[in-house]
Amino acid sequence: MQGFAVALQPANLLWCLVGVVLGTVVGIMPGLGPPATIAMLLPLTFLMNPAGAMIMLAGIYYGAKYGGSTTSILLNVPGESASVVTCLDGYQMARQGRAGAALGIAAIASFIAGTVGVLGLMLVAPPLAKVALSFSSPEYFALMALGLAMVVLLAGRSMVKALLAMLVGLWIAGIGTDLFSTTSRFTFGRMELLSGVDFVVVAIGVFAIGEVLANMEAREETRLLPVPKGLRNLLPTLQDLKDCRFAFANGSVVGFLVGVLPGAGSTIASFISYGLEKAVSRRRERFGTGVVEGVAAPEGANNSETGGALVPLLTLGIPGSGTTAVLLAALVLWGFKPGPLFIPENPALFWGLVASMYIGNVMLLILNLPLVPAFAQVLRAPVFVLYPVILGISIVGVYSASGSLFDVALLAAFGLLGYVMRKLDYPAAPLILGLVLGGAMERALRQSLMMSEGSLSILVARPISAVMLSLALLILLIPFFTKVNAWRLRALGS
Amino acid sequence: MAPARARFVKVIAIMAFASSFADTAFAQGFRPARPVEVVVHTGPGGGSDLLARAVALMVEREKLLPVRMQVVNKTGGGAAVAAAYLAEKKGDPNTIGFFTGVWLTSPLTSAEARVSLKDLTPVVRLVLEPAVIAVKTDAPYKTLADFVAAARQHPGQLKQSGGSITSRDNVVRQLLQKHTGARWAFISFPGGGERMAALLGGHVNMMVIEPAEAGEHIRAGNIRVLAQVSDRRLPGFPAVPTLKEAGFDVPAVPQVRGVVAPPGIPRENVAYWEDIFLKLTRSNSWRKFLDDNQFEDGYQDAAELARFYDEFTDRMREILKDAGIKTVR
Repeated sequence: MQGFAVALQPANLLWCLVGVVLGTVVGIMPGLGPPATIAMLLPLTFLMNPAGAMIMLAGIYYGAKYGGSTTSILLNVPGESASVVTCLDGYQMARQGRAGAALGIAAIASFIAGTVGVLGLMLVAPPLAKVALSFSSPEYFALMALGLAMVVLLAGRSMVKALLAMLVGLWIAGIGTDLFSTTSRFTFGRMELLSGVDFVVVAIGVFAIGEVLANMEAREETRLLPVPKGLRNLLPTLQDLKDCRFAFANGSVVGFLVGVLPGAGSTIASFISYGLEKAVSRRRERFGTGVVEGVAAPEGANNSETGGALVPLLTLGIPGSGTTAVLLAALVLWGFKPGPLFIPENPALFWGLVASMYIGNVMLLILNLPLVPAFAQVLRAPVFVLYPVILGISIVGVYSASGSLFDVALLAAFGLLGYVMRKLDYPAAPLILGLVLGGAMERALRQSLMMSEGSLSILVARPISAVMLSLALLILLIPFFTKVNAWRLRALGS
Repeated sequence: MAPARARFVKVIAIMAFASSFADTAFAQGFRPARPVEVVVHTGPGGGSDLLARAVALMVEREKLLPVRMQVVNKTGGGAAVAAAYLAEKKGDPNTIGFFTGVWLTSPLTSAEARVSLKDLTPVVRLVLEPAVIAVKTDAPYKTLADFVAAARQHPGQLKQSGGSITSRDNVVRQLLQKHTGARWAFISFPGGGERMAALLGGHVNMMVIEPAEAGEHIRAGNIRVLAQVSDRRLPGFPAVPTLKEAGFDVPAVPQVRGVVAPPGIPRENVAYWEDIFLKLTRSNSWRKFLDDNQFEDGYQDAAELARFYDEFTDRMREILKDAGIKTVR
């Protein structure tokens, strides 16, 4: 209640609104992410009181997660790394004229999961932070392995092609400077590759550029996608909401729990949530063709992740991602001492922030739902307008993130790769999965082996890690079960 | 007022006005004409980024510069990307960079990192960051000697979490290992948060950590400090022995931070920056900043800094070689 007293002060309400609007805009634009935006705004925040400033910066953080889905769904351009998974079903929905429904469900899932995330932050932050500390490298390796096992769920018709794509992703993740020996790998003597290949460059290249190139061949249509007339057809139906019941819960819980772990992140949360949704779904085979829960689960997960990620930041002073690192820096520069005593010593700030996040999520829902029909109209534009726009957004996005022309060249290369993969019917999602998980997974494995002096038993000797590795094995067996089941049904039928 | 006297007053006024700028701008003829770009090698929230943003803020508050400072993050390859970016800006008077020891060590181990600090124009050294050696509160080690003895008893079993192997954390470990003959593992984590989480979770036994970062966890009773990597006891840790006092006669390697400019910058520009940063380090905001973070004032002018490079590089090369890390330069 004390929190709402802080958050409902007119000035703080205004900062909350400014934050979520800025966040939405930043989320919609590919490239420029929340960490860079918050860093740019830092000097201004010294003119504000810390509560207002914190409320605004947090607003940018979770607001960006709402905006990220927009370009993923409409243009197949992931606005944020956490929105890559949204492309899979979101863009397919848009191709079927259901862009409005996809955008609407993304906003609703974001709202529900975002609110659950704040609830979690409020209720279980200190005890959960302790649990998160029991996670170390072996557990992270097992978590990544669980994520990587999702490849069997992301595969299209051919498992071999999916595995090959994943291997390419893992290889790209290996490019750069090795953390443990500072040796450079696959850099071909290029200094630009020392820091590795930026995930966003690959995702935008393979998804957006690849899609544009592939569609340019089929020239018969002047309009890319159908857009139904009438407002009613632009919003999610009651059936959509029903289909998403489990996805809302799944996204909320998975996102929050993964968010609490300092070494995971929202991209991994969205992949795991999507995989889980598909694994338990009755219409598993239709995922990737535009099912609405395939949008709701990852969009929910990447929103409740923000609530989770604030847990180690505020209860221990431990940042788990780029954005929380900048928020930590902001707290330090304002003269706070983030750490285990931060909440007990600054209750007004903490509860004010929590209350503002409830309010901010409501603001975002009110802001985003009316925008849905407006954004859906974008697809009415003829292809000779839309394609250059997609290319422009992609190039500007990549260049604005790094300021490097080398990255733009890489973007073109990965666009070509995306095109070739599409022609040869290789799925893009496993490649992205391998790329997202590869670096962290390799690090976690090598750290584990250093801890155990080279013995792999550390991975199964620790209970949490053993459970997750078993789950991963189960997921790997899903295609096998499905086949056995199909034989059995056929046998029963005959 | 008689005209002559009026003119005299005017002249005095102008002189007074001019003299207030004299030691910065007019005397040397250089002042930045557009916002100054400040290049750092860490992402937003990293150590150098934080320092650069704090300095930009203090410079603004103390009105030391006629223009604003803009922090630009050029991450990658240790500091290779940031150093190369500065080298490309050859002769640009409106760009400076914030360096750390990594700018000197990454060219030692990475063939691609072609630009060293020596290829850039030295400006000033600003701070020396001491560190403390911390363990969890429930760990059995009460002193650094306890820890070393335990490590000697179980070679390679105890673990330390830290950054990359060229980081200061590992250098301290190497020096201690060489001095004592004990051996323990060093586990690299890319983020400071993960290092701390590994210690708090009991997955590693020891960590070399910045004093300000340790402070809050000490207050909360999570960790205990065994020794400080510093030549003098820090004000925040009056009861904790330095490495030497604890009986370990190894150099207290500080993390060093300072300012460089692109190559091909005239001497007068360097003098201008030396002066700005000297003024900054004399300001009250700077004092408070050092106290808050428990940094040591490490101001050195350009000439001294150039000599410091050589000493530091030679020492690091030796330490890295001892550690079995391949050096390429």
